[in-house]
Amino acid sequence: MLWIALHCPTLSLDWIERRFPAALIPAMAVTVRKGNQVYIQQANKPAQQQGVTAHQSLASALSLFPDLVVVEHDPNEEMKALQEAAYAALRFTPNIVMQGSGLIAEVSASLKLFGGLKKLCQLLNRAVAAQGLQLCAGVAPTAGGAWLLARSASPQTVINGAGAKFRSMLDSLPVSLLESAQPHLEVIHGIGCKTLAELQQLPRGGIARRFGPKLPIELDRAYGDSPDPQKWLEVPEYFQQKMRLMAQVESVELLLVPVQRMIEQMCGWLAARHAAVSAFSFVLHHEYSLRQPHKSTPINIRLSEQSSDSRHLMILLRERLERTKIIVPVWELELIADEITTGADSNLELFPTAQSEATSLNRFIEKLTSRLGSQAITGLKVVSDHRPECSQRFEPLGISGLRETHREIIPTEWARPAWLADPPLELKLQRHQPVYGSPLKLIEGPERIEAGWWDDALIARNYFIAENELGQLLWIYCEHTPAEKDKKGKESKSWYLQGLFG
Amino acid sequence: MGSSTDPIISSGFDKLDKELPGGGWPTRNLIELLLPAEGLGEIRLLSPSLEQTTRSGRNILLVSPPYIPYMHAWEHLDIDSQRIVIARVYKPAERLWVLEQGIKSAAFGTVIGWLPEVSQQTTRRLQIIARTATSLVFLFRPVSAQFEPSAAPLRILLDSGRRHTLSLYLLKRRGAPLALPIRISLPWTRSFSSSIASLPASARHHAVDRSSLPDIIA
Repeated sequence: MLWIALHCPTLSLDWIERRFPAALIPAMAVTVRKGNQVYIQQANKPAQQQGVTAHQSLASALSLFPDLVVVEHDPNEEMKALQEAAYAALRFTPNIVMQGSGLIAEVSASLKLFGGLKKLCQLLNRAVAAQGLQLCAGVAPTAGGAWLLARSASPQTVINGAGAKFRSMLDSLPVSLLESAQPHLEVIHGIGCKTLAELQQLPRGGIARRFGPKLPIELDRAYGDSPDPQKWLEVPEYFQQKMRLMAQVESVELLLVPVQRMIEQMCGWLAARHAAVSAFSFVLHHEYSLRQPHKSTPINIRLSEQSSDSRHLMILLRERLERTKIIVPVWELELIADEITTGADSNLELFPTAQSEATSLNRFIEKLTSRLGSQAITGLKVVSDHRPECSQRFEPLGISGLRETHREIIPTEWARPAWLADPPLELKLQRHQPVYGSPLKLIEGPERIEAGWWDDALIARNYFIAENELGQLLWIYCEHTPAEKDKKGKESKSWYLQGLFG
Repeated sequence: MGSSTDPIISSGFDKLDKELPGGGWPTRNLIELLLPAEGLGEIRLLSPSLEQTTRSGRNILLVSPPYIPYMHAWEHLDIDSQRIVIARVYKPAERLWVLEQGIKSAAFGTVIGWLPEVSQQTTRRLQIIARTATSLVFLFRPVSAQFEPSAAPLRILLDSGRRHTLSLYLLKRRGAPLALPIRISLPWTRSFSSSIASLPASARHHAVDRSSLPDIIA
């Protein structure tokens, strides 16, 4: 077993700071009540610059900086933030244990996939830190050991205890890190016992009698001397996350950071369920306002091919968000995975295959549709009909759209032009000769196309191939109707440009 | 003549291949085709390489084509119409964006764009993107663009010869310039007609087949 523990020493501040756009974070402090006194537990950087520090009483902190934003210690919100961060970590391993101020991940099965311990530790750290938490990490062969090492690490560092030095590293840790020693710290320190090594040397029975049976058990589990059953993080059946914002946000730019976090959470959740999402919705909840009667703006995204790639999902959502007008400030975001499919993940292919080319085509189509609408990007489906107007139709591209094997092409001895003018362009006449740029010379024809008596779009036309002085080859026709004669007794027919031979 | 390490795809015309650096259309580069008007045979000029693109199972992207492509004709040139993706965008900024996305995407073997007006900066930008891609990129531009500078390493002015022939002026290529135009003759109807000719007359597929009508009426 190999464990990576991530400890968030500033969790009581982080959970609230992560709800602000980075530029708008005010000077803040978290308070705890001790007796009838309120103390500062933690202060953030802007507050520290004003002289506010931990263990100050609230009154003296406020006298230093009257505009200080005071937040009461809220274990529920902390746990929620931690859980969201744990979702993002599920990408790397399904085995995660929640702790009060951090999480421990069992990673022995993930080492190869993510390129070794160092790389994995980096990725995991980055993924959880991207959720807005400040972390220090510990690596060890036991969960308890990793957790102790992480808590002894200074901010944003990793202590690697995964080698032979593990026991000696634990030995040097202070006793105060042990959770079950907290009520007895004064006594333990009083008998001259400062490190875990010194605690280990004391007689077992005595420790259990004096400090409770939990202390030797915690110690043994950390060292790996006794089994340590864990309660794993359970993944819910449905994904629906909400994120309350602490500032009124009116620009999409400021939303992108929390949106990215939520997408990462969803992708971690998908990974844990071995699933991919094929439709998801993102909802912007607004403050009540007369300017906008709707309380929320939903954005529904349907993928042409299921995906669990956070980058891809983010691109799609971002394209849609950037076209969304935010009239009223947003105060809450919600992300829901509407439809998921479980199954194989095509992203792990070693070489690009026809499948992955189809995937990139689907992605391309999705990206374009989400920005320009589905009308902008189409294929042309060939239909077996002699009338040029009816012989093909624009079809939206989907997964199946491009992959039909049967094509109905009408065989013909006559050439067909690469370009169609739709609708046909009526040509000017010059001495009863059609003109397009210059008078046209008929080269080939006539070819009679007469069809459509079955659906009220009857055509009866004589088609010719004509050339003008520029060298354009044109496909033109005249209606084959009993020739109308004008007053002088000459035939006057209308000519139409149907296509160009590109 | 200059050559480079970029993979090339034969244009399908020996005369043209001989004059193109490397012996064919260069991938990973902009190829500018300056066209006085549509309908001179520009698609038939590209058809051998397009046919090769779809035959090798890759897709073709057409960005804002000037008319509706008539797929029956493209099929007659042996191009698989199901592998053609058409982007109908007509705002200059969107057109450019789609073109960039198409070149960047691994989905397309050939990208063809019609750009009435673009600046030199734009062509440079597209050329830089094309360098990272693997596809053939053709840009159709008006003849007036020949007097503007462009970052495309290959620029060809098309002009109609007589029927079914096309004159190509290589305005710019890697290596020595070419003073004289290349004249190539374009494919017309494909060999399809020969297979039809071999069928008995009664089995011929006409748009209107009235030969059997009297029998039916009788």
